[in-house]
Amino acid sequence: MSVVEVQYYAVLREQAGLSHERVTTSAPTVAALYEELRARHGLSLGRAQLRVAIDGEFADWGAALAEGARVVFIPPVAGG
Amino acid sequence: MALFEFSDRPLEVGRLRAALEDPSCGGFSSFEGWVRDHNDGRAVDRLEYETYAELAVKEGERIVKEAIERFAVRRAACVHRVGALGLGELAVWVGVASAHRGEAFAACRYIIDEVKHRVPIWKKEHYADGDSGWVNCERCAAPIEADAHHAAHPGHADAGTAAVQSDYSRQTVLAEVGERGQARLRAARVLVIGAGGLGAPVLGYLAGAGVGTVGIMDADLLEPSNLHRQTLYALADVGRPKALLAADRIRALNPGVDVRAYVERAEPGNLAAIAASYEILVDCSDNFSTRFLVSDVAVRLGLSAVLASVYQYEGQLQVVRPGGVCLRCLWPDATADGVVGNCAEAGVLGPVPGVLGSLQALEVMKLILGMPTPAAEALVLIDLRTLETRRIGARRAAACGGGHCARLPAAVPAEDLELPVAALASAFAEGYTVIDVRDARERAEAPAPGPHRHVPFDRLLEEPTQLAASGRYLILCARGQRSKAAAAALRRAGIKGAWSLRGGLAAVDPGGKSA
Repeated sequence: MSVVEVQYYAVLREQAGLSHERVTTSAPTVAALYEELRARHGLSLGRAQLRVAIDGEFADWGAALAEGARVVFIPPVAGG
Repeated sequence: MALFEFSDRPLEVGRLRAALEDPSCGGFSSFEGWVRDHNDGRAVDRLEYETYAELAVKEGERIVKEAIERFAVRRAACVHRVGALGLGELAVWVGVASAHRGEAFAACRYIIDEVKHRVPIWKKEHYADGDSGWVNCERCAAPIEADAHHAAHPGHADAGTAAVQSDYSRQTVLAEVGERGQARLRAARVLVIGAGGLGAPVLGYLAGAGVGTVGIMDADLLEPSNLHRQTLYALADVGRPKALLAADRIRALNPGVDVRAYVERAEPGNLAAIAASYEILVDCSDNFSTRFLVSDVAVRLGLSAVLASVYQYEGQLQVVRPGGVCLRCLWPDATADGVVGNCAEAGVLGPVPGVLGSLQALEVMKLILGMPTPAAEALVLIDLRTLETRRIGARRAAACGGGHCARLPAAVPAEDLELPVAALASAFAEGYTVIDVRDARERAEAPAPGPHRHVPFDRLLEEPTQLAASGRYLILCARGQRSKAAAAALRRAGIKGAWSLRGGLAAVDPGGKSA
């Protein structure tokens, strides 16, 4: 189990009902973490439509989760 | 019927209207100007119109032609009275016929406004007290001057009419600017795509700073709901093309700027040709397809681009440098319109695009002045509720190299993805499966006609393979945006028979709501 900090943006923040949370998870990758959180919060967007960043850098979905990682899920936004 | 003419006899509305009838038109809009019984607090009992006909007819024809082109209406005409008119008489008539009502209203409004501004017509009012006086029609006292101002592109700070000169001393005093930086700003050429909530501060600041050439690309007409965030405009401007309004506004702000307005939407067919005369592109659009297009064109032409977008209280900012991280490096799977809302759908407070647009203007100036741009090689996320800013570092995708992004897909032209509205009626008989991708609320409010399946847009994008690859599908939504994105996604997933219904359900019922 590892404890990670998760930050949500835009439509994800709306659907999750919070902008950040500390999550205790056994997910081995950020992809698995997202699917876990997606089920918990009923998030509508699939991974294909999102980017994930770990510790301030964009990361691949297959990236491993380390204890204390700061994970940000970023949907694109369109307004102008 | 002539586009514009004068008449010394009373106007017969029925005959004028009949001359514009056209079976291809579903909407007709007209305006009538009447002689009223007062002006400026004085009682009027009759009046006379005089004109310089040679000049006036040419200018009037030009205005009607402009309206037909800009609003893509089918037919339009304007007739103005000259001579003596009594109270209540018809002084001017404008009629516009078009496929749908929106363009008809807008073109009609445009014609009467421009005629009042630009056509040299003088009015002599006879007052109830026996006095009389000549009244110029609005700005027509100086039609030639105004016209020259519109047509020419003043390229020097001494052009324009104001005796007061632009003064850049508050910025040239900065070490990073100075006279040298000011010269660089003057030599710079910047194209702004979108003259809305982001574009308003970008245009204002660039013009104020003395950027030499500024292009403005926007096909939209100003709507009242734009004004809470689009600070360049006034309520009286509603219905007119934003690119032209913005151009007028920033010419007034700084006559030294060479301003070019493009009243057209950025498309794969036009953007590269226009962008080729600029050095920096600023994406202030409100949709993903335009944003990707701007990034792609910048990569192809080796230009810089400053991209921003907002969602409610949040914004994203990215600077694309030649050979650097482009939008497709960040979002390898081109994001479809409709995945998340734009300002119209999701709501926004005016200052949010104001802040992001101001940041875009600042990044443009940094690029011109050769200052470091931390928003390059990164995505900057700004949450204006908490005032938290986060910079996510990004690397150029391996596929993006040598000044050419290999991720640039061979774009499928829209016409190869869309079927006309008429296809819906026969779709089922011709073996298409009709798929409604709207959400449950939309479907409940306005059910789609005929036999169809429902697959929510998100679900379809996520799992296109839930559809048989050999099938034929006609996808529909409210206005044809999401369905087009869905059809494109299905094509990419190998489903060659995926089509989008052009214009969506809004276009299905032209005799009713949309005529």
